[in-house]
Amino acid sequence: MTRKTVAYVTRFSPRQRVEHLLIMLLFLLLALTGLPQKFFAAPWAQWLILHMGGIDRVHWLHRVCGIIFTLGAVEHLAVLVGGVLVGRSGFSMVPTKKDFRDAIVMLRYYLGTSDERARFDRYDYRQKFEYWGLVFGGTIMIVTGFILYFPALVTSVLPGEFIPAAKVAHSSEGLLAFLIVIIWHIYNAHMSPEVFPFDPSIFTGKVRVERLQHEHPLEYARLVSEGKAPADPHASPETPAPAKPGSEPP
Amino acid sequence: MNQKHARVGWLFALLLVLAVPCARAGPLAPEVEACLECHGNETLELPLPSGESQSLYVDEATFTKSIHGETLRCTDCHTDIEGYPHPERTFQNKREFSLAYYESCKTCHFDQYTKSLDGVHYEYVSKGDSRAPLCVDCHGAHNVAKPNVPKSRISHTCARCHPQVYERYSHSVHGKALLEGENGDVPVCTDCHRSHDIEDPRTTAFRLHSPEICAGCHTNKKIMAKYDLSTNVLQSYLEDFHGVTAAFLKEQRGGGGRLTAVCTDCHGVHDILPVNDPRSSVIKANLVTTCRKCHPEANANFPAAWLSHYEPSFKKAPLVYLVELFYRFFIPFVVLGLVLQILLHVWRAVVSR
Repeated sequence: MTRKTVAYVTRFSPRQRVEHLLIMLLFLLLALTGLPQKFFAAPWAQWLILHMGGIDRVHWLHRVCGIIFTLGAVEHLAVLVGGVLVGRSGFSMVPTKKDFRDAIVMLRYYLGTSDERARFDRYDYRQKFEYWGLVFGGTIMIVTGFILYFPALVTSVLPGEFIPAAKVAHSSEGLLAFLIVIIWHIYNAHMSPEVFPFDPSIFTGKVRVERLQHEHPLEYARLVSEGKAPADPHASPETPAPAKPGSEPP
Repeated sequence: MNQKHARVGWLFALLLVLAVPCARAGPLAPEVEACLECHGNETLELPLPSGESQSLYVDEATFTKSIHGETLRCTDCHTDIEGYPHPERTFQNKREFSLAYYESCKTCHFDQYTKSLDGVHYEYVSKGDSRAPLCVDCHGAHNVAKPNVPKSRISHTCARCHPQVYERYSHSVHGKALLEGENGDVPVCTDCHRSHDIEDPRTTAFRLHSPEICAGCHTNKKIMAKYDLSTNVLQSYLEDFHGVTAAFLKEQRGGGGRLTAVCTDCHGVHDILPVNDPRSSVIKANLVTTCRKCHPEANANFPAAWLSHYEPSFKKAPLVYLVELFYRFFIPFVVLGLVLQILLHVWRAVVSR
């Protein structure tokens, strides 16, 4: 029996996995109900709205999804701030000077002028870019969304011009987010040669130790030193791994 | 040879052109003269069971001057009558008398007749509403003339049954221009409501497609240039909240759904005033009152949320303009950057293999 065993490390907590699933679902629904409103003149937009039960229902659905998205964002922020206060959350998502250096190193690598690859910690610069894109984009969408939801309330304190400006921002930012997701995120999670056809780790929470070592060597080294990952990525699960949440048989 | 033939052809054509009106003009057809021997009598009347009395008098001069005077004989319309004595007919009242001849016009004016069957007037005629007009009520009977000469004649015709609407219209920007100056550009009743296939204007479907009616003239560059009016009014409406919703609602079956503002909700219907008239519903001082018709919570700042059909520009709406400008560059910048990064990534992966 020479069954090859693969060791795994738990990389995402159940809360993070549920969060991703929820954002994914809400993003799809918001795009589905929002984009046809932006491209109202296109036949496909008319078709979509009609088949979703008419513009009034689409308005309603879009707003409900927006409210849930907002609640999710508030929860995310609260957990984050709470975690920092208690000292449990790290600052692994905070962009550092190293990220800029890494980006340059990787650019050289991609251009073929160097064979050196940047050594990443828990999140690489692309993941941070996407996270902060979501944070900033999400904030713009939430703020402008509520301006559009309650125009009379908003104009009781702000000039009326904020309403059409919010409309332009909401619709443009929404399109940008959609393009980033279908181009960048889908590439990184599905089409990229490293993960093709599908990177399941955000759904299962687990990542192969070998892959972690390759893609996030600094994080891997730290996990090993903390005893949370096997020192040998090919370690058989029978060997008493020092890891606690870590290596499990597939 | 050919030239000779051509000359003969021209001569023939000329004779034909001269001959046709000659045959029509001139004295009354003998048949008409025969009818007028009795019907030229002013006192000829038919007492009806309802107590009304239907005059059977036809003024020769009126009929001769009418558009049909030269072309039709009495029995062309009164097809039930062939000679004297006339066949016995019983009418309860004057309306029944008119209704009996309702279909006479159809023989020649089949188009208009069939169109009128789709109209709201016929809908009421068919329900037995005696107030709903028949052909003759608008066009006259023996005195039929061109209905739109002069143009204001149309509005005066409708005013006979719709006096309140006419009153409001006559004070509107359209009505004034028509009635005071016979302006040929402004709409009369039938330009918006059509003449024979008049649609019930109280339905949601009518409301939702009414912007197209206004746009018929208000997107016409030639007409609007004369009055220094923008032709961008429809597009700017369609691109904003109200217009987008209206466009979607229009596509929905039954045209139901919540209401959204169309042109007339802000500008008025028959009482539309110039946008710079101090009494106009859309002049700045009155705009918030107009918004409150649908948005009771609207405050003084609220109307500015609507850019008054203007394209956002640095002068008119700087905030909107700048946000628009930012994204016009930012979206392609980000997207191109990401695509470039992906291409590099793929390229390196292929090369390294």
